[in-house]
Amino acid sequence: MSIVRTMGATVGLAFGISALAGAAHAQDCTTKIGAVLPTSVDWGRPIAETAQFAVDQVNAAGGAAGCQIEMVLRDTQVDPKVGVDAAKALVDLEGVNVLLGAVSSGVSMPILTSVTVPSGVLQMSCCSSSTAFTGLATEGKTGGLWFRTFATTGVQSAVGAKVAADQGYKSVAILYKNDDWGQDMARLIAADFAAVGVDVTASVAINDAQPNYRAEVTDALTSQPEALYLALYPAEGTAAVREWLSLGGTQNMILANSLKSDEFRDNVGMQYLGSALGTDTASPRSESADAFRAAYQERFASEPNGPGLANSYDAAMIALLAMEAAGKDASGADVAAAIARVTDPDGTAVSADTAGFVAAKEVLASGGNVMFQGATGNVRFDANGDVSAPAVIWSFSDEGTEEVEFMSLNDVDAFMASLK
Amino acid sequence: MIGIFSYLIFFATTASILAIAVLGLNLQWGNTGLFNGGVVAFFGAGAYATLILGGTAQAGHLGGFGLFYPLALLGGMAAAGLMAWIVGLLTLRLRHDYLAIATFGVAVAFENLMRNAEWLAGGAKGVRGFERPLRAALGDGFAYNLLFFAGVLLILIATYLFLERLVASPFGRLLRAIREDEAAAASLGKSPSKVRLTAFVTGSVILGLAGGLYGTFYAFVSPQDVLPTLTFQIWAMLIVGGAGNNRGAIFGAFLIWGAWTLSGWALSRFAPVDVQLYTGSFQFILIGSVIVGMLMWRPQGLLPERLVVSQRGKPQSTQQGE
Repeated sequence: MSIVRTMGATVGLAFGISALAGAAHAQDCTTKIGAVLPTSVDWGRPIAETAQFAVDQVNAAGGAAGCQIEMVLRDTQVDPKVGVDAAKALVDLEGVNVLLGAVSSGVSMPILTSVTVPSGVLQMSCCSSSTAFTGLATEGKTGGLWFRTFATTGVQSAVGAKVAADQGYKSVAILYKNDDWGQDMARLIAADFAAVGVDVTASVAINDAQPNYRAEVTDALTSQPEALYLALYPAEGTAAVREWLSLGGTQNMILANSLKSDEFRDNVGMQYLGSALGTDTASPRSESADAFRAAYQERFASEPNGPGLANSYDAAMIALLAMEAAGKDASGADVAAAIARVTDPDGTAVSADTAGFVAAKEVLASGGNVMFQGATGNVRFDANGDVSAPAVIWSFSDEGTEEVEFMSLNDVDAFMASLK
Repeated sequence: MIGIFSYLIFFATTASILAIAVLGLNLQWGNTGLFNGGVVAFFGAGAYATLILGGTAQAGHLGGFGLFYPLALLGGMAAAGLMAWIVGLLTLRLRHDYLAIATFGVAVAFENLMRNAEWLAGGAKGVRGFERPLRAALGDGFAYNLLFFAGVLLILIATYLFLERLVASPFGRLLRAIREDEAAAASLGKSPSKVRLTAFVTGSVILGLAGGLYGTFYAFVSPQDVLPTLTFQIWAMLIVGGAGNNRGAIFGAFLIWGAWTLSGWALSRFAPVDVQLYTGSFQFILIGSVIVGMLMWRPQGLLPERLVVSQRGKPQSTQQGE
């Protein structure tokens, strides 16, 4: 029923907008924003598609700051040199003030230090997780130009520890992806497990693209844990879990949000995932999150499951809202400063879709502040450009995933404080 | 307009740094015939060592020596040279493809060490650099980039002149003699293994210099910077430019890096919107085709090696041993 209603509303809105379009025809201008994302990598392309999706929604709402938005997309090839050069070209040749990206911390960091900060351009990453950014921001070297919508490292490890404590697991082995995100996750979750009194029996790095993971899995298995914690991506996660189960490992698994994917569920098999519980940052309990899901499904005919999709959407949307708030011809620093106005916890709540953007425009035009309720929650940045968010514990179901427990932003903050 | 100029300076800086690396490889492969398949390890050693030596103190890993910048850069070169000396002692008895495989293995081991040894260089998180030298005086803007480019260009020219002198010297002839026929060189009383090691270490020090400048420029280095892709890129530059010719090496670096970035820019600007998402993959195909085409139709490179008789111009002088 609610889907039918939402669709009705969307269709109605579409008519409304096309009627508006005539009136808004005066705005022939186009503002460019840049995106440097690894589109030549399988998981990078959907992240770019989702960012473009947000831009399309904003354009349907008449654009931002009085102009239509054009997102100029460049591929990073996950190569820092290529990413930095692409970013520099976008800033110098296309004249962008707002840059979305990159995904890998190893690419985002040199872009930040050698392009965006020196040029005064706002950089908003969907997915870079390294704790090094927090360090850089603490020293004041990001100039307030750096933001990321990837909240999950700290929140996620805390909620993972909560799952283990709630389930009564006494000992856990960790398998983690051997990159900056995975290494951070492994370190944080080990500390959080210790804080709730769960033994970590083994912590094993999983390298990408190995033909098999028997040695790594055996390492974890011989430590005889009661449960397994997985901070992996779907491809190597599938391979490692298959190996784990075939060697007689426990089905008690705790999964990071990167495994919240249909690919992982289908390839491992639902019958083995009955006692697997996952963690993720969550959408707030509001209609806006449903609106995002509905709009996404309509556009891509699938659930927004997959690493970084919701984060990418929010990154693009917040950047564009801030551009609207900062007004025409704003500099990167102006837009960065305006982010507080669109993620104000006391502001008017706006949803994550075209209608939400239209509503936000009105509020901002009258000098008010808005609270963007995005696909990853009502995002709120701290002084370092890091976010906290509500969390959810989920499990796999036949249709996809279902929610087991919801933790509000306050619950999350309280629980994280209790771990300290 | 200023934007285009600013970008070109930035582009030329990166290209010049890569050109220095290609010159280092040219000494090894072009002049001495050593197939170094682990370029990135020596480049990376230079970058990591420079940043660790010159950087400010950082939690969790080695660093914070805060050395005067030129000393840090020299330290980076020394680290690359030291690594080349050890690797060279162990592997230089190998020939051609065997040497390539061994050095490739060294590069993969280097990347894995950097990815996993968090106490050493921050693991996958990488090493954050220091304020770029003189930045406090000049600020962040265009003037600074221009000055940095001038510095890199000077180093590139110095490296070029040094190598030109080197290969024109008797030692240079010795390198070519060993490349062409080791047994013949040995029969003249030369010691090929010692000369090969010298050339390998010298080339690697130059690679380390390029790495140090690269780390300084980006103020950051992580294991993602030392993936085998970089080895491939530097080899492609040398092959396209012309192995054995220093000018070819520099030309190849600018050409390939230009093609690499220009194709990305052109695709993002001119490809239709629905193809945009696939431009990354197109770019790989494009660049791969250029290199394959070069190998098929002009394997000696765009500026091939100029083989000259060393004593030309003095036809009546008697041949002398060197």
